[in-house]
Amino acid sequence: MSLLANPLATPSQLYRRASSLTLPRDLDEAVLVATQCLTQAAGRLLQLPQSATAQANVLLARYWLTESPMAHEFSDVSAATLYLVSKLGPLPRSPRDVSNVYAYLSSANSALFPTGELPKDDPRAYYQTEADYYAFQQRMLGLEARILQSLSFDTHVSLPHPLAITYLQTLDFLSQSRTTVSLRTIQYLNTALLSPQMLYVTHQPNALATAAIYNAARDLGAKMPEHEWWEVFDVDREELGFLVVAMRSVEGWMQKLRDDFPSFGSKMLKRSMVEDELHRRGLHVGNGDNAPRDEEAEVMRMMDSR
Amino acid sequence: MSSKPKSRWASTAEDAEFEARQKKEKEERRRKKAQKLEEEEKKKAMLAAAAAAKASETAETNDDNDNDAASSSSRPSKRRKLTPEPPNNSSSPAASLLRFDVGSWKPSRSVDNYDKLNDIEEGTYGWVARATELASGRVVALKRLKLEAGDPNGLPVTGLREIQILKNCRHRNVVAMEEVVVGNDTSKPDNSIFLVLEFVEHDLKSILEDMPEPFLSSEVKRLLLQLTSGVAYLHQNYILHRDLKTSNLLLSNRGLLKIADFGMARYVGDPRPKLTQLVVTLWYRAPELLLGTRSYDAAVDMWSVGCIMGELITREPLLQGSNEVDQISKVFELCGVPTEDSWPGFRRLPNARSLRLPKQSPLASGSVIRARFPNLTAAGASLLNSLLSLDPDKRPTAKEMLEHEYFRQDPKPKPESLFPTFPSKAGQERRRRHEPDAPVRGQAVALGDVDFSGIFQGRDKEERGAGFSLRMV
Repeated sequence: MSLLANPLATPSQLYRRASSLTLPRDLDEAVLVATQCLTQAAGRLLQLPQSATAQANVLLARYWLTESPMAHEFSDVSAATLYLVSKLGPLPRSPRDVSNVYAYLSSANSALFPTGELPKDDPRAYYQTEADYYAFQQRMLGLEARILQSLSFDTHVSLPHPLAITYLQTLDFLSQSRTTVSLRTIQYLNTALLSPQMLYVTHQPNALATAAIYNAARDLGAKMPEHEWWEVFDVDREELGFLVVAMRSVEGWMQKLRDDFPSFGSKMLKRSMVEDELHRRGLHVGNGDNAPRDEEAEVMRMMDSR
Repeated sequence: MSSKPKSRWASTAEDAEFEARQKKEKEERRRKKAQKLEEEEKKKAMLAAAAAAKASETAETNDDNDNDAASSSSRPSKRRKLTPEPPNNSSSPAASLLRFDVGSWKPSRSVDNYDKLNDIEEGTYGWVARATELASGRVVALKRLKLEAGDPNGLPVTGLREIQILKNCRHRNVVAMEEVVVGNDTSKPDNSIFLVLEFVEHDLKSILEDMPEPFLSSEVKRLLLQLTSGVAYLHQNYILHRDLKTSNLLLSNRGLLKIADFGMARYVGDPRPKLTQLVVTLWYRAPELLLGTRSYDAAVDMWSVGCIMGELITREPLLQGSNEVDQISKVFELCGVPTEDSWPGFRRLPNARSLRLPKQSPLASGSVIRARFPNLTAAGASLLNSLLSLDPDKRPTAKEMLEHEYFRQDPKPKPESLFPTFPSKAGQERRRRHEPDAPVRGQAVALGDVDFSGIFQGRDKEERGAGFSLRMV
């Protein structure tokens, strides 16, 4: 049973995060999306299967529900989740490999951030000295322990992908070509990983799978059963409706972020870039380290005003 | 080249004629059938028409009756029943949807919530203490993960797997983990990590060492049944324990056995991970592991179960080898030398290529398990024999073992509540007899060039030489 379900964020966790954001909402979303994309790219380069990379995406979303994204460098958190998931899974990757991949992705040579011109292959751009590697490894391993502690060592993630295929089989692939409809469904599920709405920590895999199938069927014009077939998969109409819209909106969201923060797509997102953006807006919000202090000041002020 | 000779199978004039005739016949038959069908159809239609006419007549009369009846009583007319039910009616009862009762996540609590009472033991993989939870006063066992400061791979994967597996396991014969707590130095990567486990009074090994009389066979059966149902649960959930031994089996004062110490355990799912052969404490290690296989399965645990069964009966570990080579020779002494018949394909295992085995008749080098356990019933001996099959494929699975004749024979397994109690050892200083530790990663031993041809020297003489030989069968 536990193999099919995930621990979900509690309403109080979601509320607390929404009410004590250290960043303006749009920046926070931009950071999340950029980091999830980075994890996906690193997973590809580390030749990890999507099942592992997707788990890393989910762990990162869970971790950032308990801790401010500004507390650590984004790429380090991404690396730590990916390293942790690969270590626990069937295909472990060495810290050295992870380090190399992230060094490459952050270099000017990185193919993740197309600058328009073909990157010339310059190994010096992503060469790591022993000291660089050591520092990266220390940061990553420290974060590994920290992430585990924040999640009370629960690393279990069940993904909706296999469920979605099973559901499609039950629906006889909606009388479509198996590959087309399966591919579109999986694409929706993978895109949903990047969603700033953190769909994977608020909804169970069966709901995600059903919504992805619904979307795929709509895209392909497939005929769906006339009754409330989603109830067979234990999803109610409300939840399905929300997820269908949420999954469809990711693309627009990404487009908007690209327009709003053109600089974020040009190189690997760093905390300093976010801080610069904050300064530009005339906001000064400290990084996560002094966030608790701010909170305390807030409480003190409330007490004073009473 | 001359023109191609005509194939034997090519159609000739006769063939063509024959075919034409067949075709014609077929057509004829089809035509007749169609005609017959048509006639039948006509007949049916006529009948139907007649019936319909009759029906409408009766319906009309019925209607009249109904109308009369409706005026006198509130009985609904029959016609209303014929109309389809309104579609919105069917969706009104809310479907009951399956909802999982799942938790959330929150930061681990601090170890300060527990008060240490006394140390229980210091093992290869960690340190265990008895403690009480301050808030509730409950007694628990705290197991600290052994962390190496400056380990280039971060937290030990064995410890993380243990946590992952224990978190997912819920079975009465598997030790339960309540939570994971951490030390107070949360910023440091080598901050200590403690597993909070349910406290169980004894481990089977120290009981076996201290008990004056061996377990009764009814008790052995109950212990084995509990062990096997725990192992069956693990295997069903794709978990290999890989370190089953008596010191990892806990026994409560109520006779409840629990499998503990998952430091070697791991999930084996799909894709099948590359497995290390450096698992299972030497004395309980299956022959395929000793021969260096990389693709083993649940059968390695079943071998350990066999070793434990022998140990429960005699109070002594069954196969106490001093090193890998000695261990495998002890295995062959007990279970016989493998042959291509008894264990197909064993020669292909990495360490088996260089083995020199005695060339003897299979009779002289067969298993002596039956003779080593003279008091065991035939069913018990056959179970032990099958658990200690050299060929892993011949060992029963845990599920099969639960169905074995041995557990149904008299004496029946003793109920747990009737188990004797033992003075609790946890906390007291106690001497521990030497036992090899679970293997540590990265010290694989190749058996090398080993000559086992001498291990059965003299055995054949014993059997043939004297006038009679006492055989316990």
